[in-house]
Amino acid sequence: MTTSESVSVGSTSLLRVEGLAVRYGAAQSLFDVTIDIPVNGTLAVLGSNGAGKSTLARAVSGLVPSCGGRIVFDGKDITKWSPTRIRRAGLIHMPEGRGVFPGLTVLENLRMALTTEKGSKEECLERAFTLFPVLGQRRRQLAGTLSGGEQQMLSLARALMVSPKLVIADEMSLGLAPKLVDVVFESIGRMRDAGVAVLMIEQFASRALGFADQAIILQRGSVTWAGRADEAGEELLHAYLGGATAA
Amino acid sequence: MLSYVLAGLGLGSIYAIAAGSLVITYVASGIFNLAFAAMAYAVARFYYFLLVEEDWAIVPAAVVSLFVFAPALGMFLYAVLFRHLRLRSTLVKLMATVGLSVALPPLVNLWLEQPTDPTAPGLAPRPLATFQVFGSTINADQLTTYIGLVVVLLVGVGLLRFTNVGLKVRALVDSEALTSLSGTSPGRVSLGVWAASATLAGLAGILIAPTAGLSVGSMTFLMSAAFAAVVAAKLRSLPLAVGVALVMGVATNVVQKYIDPSSDFGAAVVPSIPFAFMLLFLLFYALRGQAGDLVAGGALDRAIATQGGDPTVVSAVTGGSNRRVLNPAVIAGVVIVGIVAFLPGQLDRFWSGLLAGGIAIAIALLSYTLVTGEGGMVWLSQITFAGGGAVLAAELVRNQGWDPLVAVLVGAVFIVPVGVVLGLLTIRLGNLYIALVTLTFGSLIQVLVFGRDPFYNFGSGQAMPRPEFTTTNDDFAYLALIVFCVLAVLIVNVRRSTAGLAMSAVRFSENGAKTLGISVVQTKVLVSGLATYTAAVGGGFIAMNAGSTLPDSFNPAVGLIWLAVLVTMGSRSIIAALIAGIMFVVMPQVFSTYVDSDYADVPVILFGLGALGLALHPEGVVAQTGNNIMRLFGRRKPAPVTQVPPGTPGASGPSAGTSDPALLTPAARGEAATITAGGQA
Repeated sequence: MTTSESVSVGSTSLLRVEGLAVRYGAAQSLFDVTIDIPVNGTLAVLGSNGAGKSTLARAVSGLVPSCGGRIVFDGKDITKWSPTRIRRAGLIHMPEGRGVFPGLTVLENLRMALTTEKGSKEECLERAFTLFPVLGQRRRQLAGTLSGGEQQMLSLARALMVSPKLVIADEMSLGLAPKLVDVVFESIGRMRDAGVAVLMIEQFASRALGFADQAIILQRGSVTWAGRADEAGEELLHAYLGGATAA
Repeated sequence: MLSYVLAGLGLGSIYAIAAGSLVITYVASGIFNLAFAAMAYAVARFYYFLLVEEDWAIVPAAVVSLFVFAPALGMFLYAVLFRHLRLRSTLVKLMATVGLSVALPPLVNLWLEQPTDPTAPGLAPRPLATFQVFGSTINADQLTTYIGLVVVLLVGVGLLRFTNVGLKVRALVDSEALTSLSGTSPGRVSLGVWAASATLAGLAGILIAPTAGLSVGSMTFLMSAAFAAVVAAKLRSLPLAVGVALVMGVATNVVQKYIDPSSDFGAAVVPSIPFAFMLLFLLFYALRGQAGDLVAGGALDRAIATQGGDPTVVSAVTGGSNRRVLNPAVIAGVVIVGIVAFLPGQLDRFWSGLLAGGIAIAIALLSYTLVTGEGGMVWLSQITFAGGGAVLAAELVRNQGWDPLVAVLVGAVFIVPVGVVLGLLTIRLGNLYIALVTLTFGSLIQVLVFGRDPFYNFGSGQAMPRPEFTTTNDDFAYLALIVFCVLAVLIVNVRRSTAGLAMSAVRFSENGAKTLGISVVQTKVLVSGLATYTAAVGGGFIAMNAGSTLPDSFNPAVGLIWLAVLVTMGSRSIIAALIAGIMFVVMPQVFSTYVDSDYADVPVILFGLGALGLALHPEGVVAQTGNNIMRLFGRRKPAPVTQVPPGTPGASGPSAGTSDPALLTPAARGEAATITAGGQA
C-alpha cells in the first residue's frame, strides 16, 4: 500500500482528506496525507513523537491552515473553513493535553461546549453528570484545579453530552493511570456505539488497533503504512514505531 | 481633608475606568493598548463636536458618542489592526499601538479640526451644580465620574460573571484555540471586547476633559498614570487595578494638602506619584519573580502558533549569511551611506542642517538597533539616555571647558552605568514590564531632571557648541556621518563576534542559552552598556546640531515615535536606523515647505500608519524591500536548494532513513528541503 492510497473508500465517506500538506512557518510537517473515514468508521492514527499526528488532527479541525490538499467532511469541502464553522458542522476535536478552560469552572466548561447546541441544554448537562458523577460534585470548581484524570473526563464529557458526527480524540490517554485509560477508551467506545465516527490518535498502539477498524502509521509527516487495523501485526509496528511505542 | 479625598476619588475613578479597560483588553487580546489615550481623545473630540459645535443635548450626544461612534471605532481598529497582532511579539504589539496613538489624533483633527477651546464640558449640565457631602463640596462633574465608575463596575462585572457573553470572553482569555473548537468565534468575541474598550476609553476621555482639557497631551499623561494601576494588578487582576487606581487618585490629591503643588518641590513630586507607585510594585514583583511575560492562551494556542512575528527573529531567519563581502545588505548599506554623504554639498544651509540633525538622531537610533534588535529587549528609555548624554556633555563643556566632541564621546561613558544598572534591575522582568519600567524611568527623569532648572532653562536648555572644525552644517553632517559609520561598523563586528552569537542565543531562548553555559546577565549587561553609550553619543550630537540641549526634545513620548519609525524601517538593520533618523527630521519639513500647512500633520500620520503596518510585516520596510528586490533578481535564476543530510536536526522535510530505503519520502519525490532556524519539524 502506498502513501497516497486511501485507507478505505466506503460508499458513505464522512471525512476524506486528500493529499494534505501542512507547514508551521518554514517547517513542513505533513506531506501528501490521504485518509478516509466512513460514517460510523473508526481510524487509529499511529506514529512516534513528531510524526505529525496532532498536526493532522489540527489541520482537519481547522486550527492550522493547510498548504496543499483538500478536506471534505460530510460532503462539504471544509479545507478553508474556520474551526468554529467546522465545530458547528458536527466535528469535535478533543485536543492533546487537557482540552479544558482552566480559568472556568466545570459547569462553565460544559456550558461553553453547549453554545452551539440547539436542544435542551439542561438535558445535556444532566447526561454529562450522569456519565461522570465526579464532575457533578465539582461543578463549581475551577477546571484548572482538577486532577489530570478529572480534566480528561471533563474534556470527554464536553464531547459526549452533544451529538457530533465525528470526534477526533488526540492522545486522550496520555499521562493517565491505567484505570483512567480504561475510562477513556470506554467513553470513546460509547460514542462509537452511538454512531459517531472516531479518529483516534494514540501512543498505546495495540489498544488503539484493538479499538479501530482502520489504521495508518505516520512517520515524519508522511503515511508510511495504511490498512485494516487487524492487519497491522507486531512486526510492522516494531518496524515503524520501535519496541517502546508498539507495546 | 475630606474634600481632597473626594476630589482624589474623582481622579481615581477615571484612572480606574482606564485601568479596568486596559486590563480587560490585555487579558482578552494579549495587547497592552498604548493607544488608549488616543482612542479616548478621538471619542471625547467627537462628543465635543456634537455637544458644542453641533449644539446637541448632552444625552443624545453622549449616547451617539459612547454607544455608536466609540464601538464603531473599536471594531474598525480591531478589523484593520488588532486582529493581526494577537500572536505577534511584545515589541510589534507595542509599536503598532504606538503607531495608532501617533496617527489617530491628527487623523481626527484633520476631520474635525483642533478644538478651539481646550476646556471641554463633561457629562454634567452647565452651569455646574454643587452638592454638600459631609461638609465638603463636590460638583456635578465629580458626581458623574463616581456614577460612571459605579455603572462601569456593575455592568462590567455583571456581564463578565453572569452572562453567556462574559463566559465567552473569559473562555477566550483562557484559550483562543479551545474557544474556536467549542464553536464560538474568537473574532466576534474580540470584536465585542474592542468595541467595549473603545467605549470605556471614550467615557474616560469625556470625564477627564473638563479638568485636564481636551488635548492629546493631557490625556496621554493621565492615562499613562493609569498604567501604574495596571502594573500593580500584574496586568490581569481587575479588582486590584480598580483599587490601586482609586488609592493612587486619592494619594495624588491628599499629598497636595501637605505639599504646595505650585512650589518647585511640589511640581516635581505630585506628577511623579503614579510613576513611584509603578516602580514600587514592579520592584516588589520583580524581587518575587512574578513579573515574567504573560503567556497568551493555553498550551494548544502555543502549539499551533508559528513564527511570533518578532522582527529580531524574522530578520535572523531571512537574513542569511552576513559574512560575505558582497552581501547584498552590505552593498545596499554602502550605496545608502554614499547617497547621504553626497547630499551635504548639494543642499543649501537649511536642508543640510536638517540632514545633520537626522544623522544625529540616527546615531541615537543605533542604540535601539543594539538593545532591541540584538538584545531583544524592548527598552523605551533610550531617548532619556540620549538626553542624559546631551546634558552631561553641555555641563562638561560649560563648567570644565572641554572640547565639545571630547565631552560628547567621553561624557557618554558616564551615562553607561545608568543603563547597566537599569539593565540589571530589569533582567528578571518580562518584555512588557521592561517596556513599562523603562518608559516610567524616562518619564521620571524628564520630570525630575530635564524639566527642572538649571537643565530646563525655559525649554532652551544649556548651550552646546559644535566642535570648532565643524561650524558649517555640511561639515557637521560629515562628522555625524563618520561617527555613525564607526558605531555601525562596531555594531556589525559585535554582531559577528562570539559575544554577538551569545546575544543571538539569548534572544532566541534565554533558557536554551543558559544550558549552553552562556551568561545571560553578562550578555545583557554588554548590550545595555553599548546601547546606552551609543544613545548618549547620539544625544550629544543632537544637542551640538541644535546648539542647545533643548530638554523637551528628549521626552519619552518623542522616544516612542523614534522607536516606531525605526521599527517600521527595521529594528535590526543599521541602514534602517540611518533612513529612519533622516526621515524623522526631514519629512515634516518637506511637508510644511512644499505642501499646504493644513497637511503638516501628514508625516506624523504616515509614521503612525507605518508602525501599524508592522502588524502585517514585522520585519520592517527595509528588510521587506530588500527581500522583494532579491526575489525580483531571484526570478532570473532559480534559488539553490540546500541539500540536507538525512536526519539533520531542523530540516523541514523528512529524510530517508538508511534502514528504510523503500519509504517514499518528500526528498525522494524531488521536493526541496530547507534548513530552518530552530524550526520544529
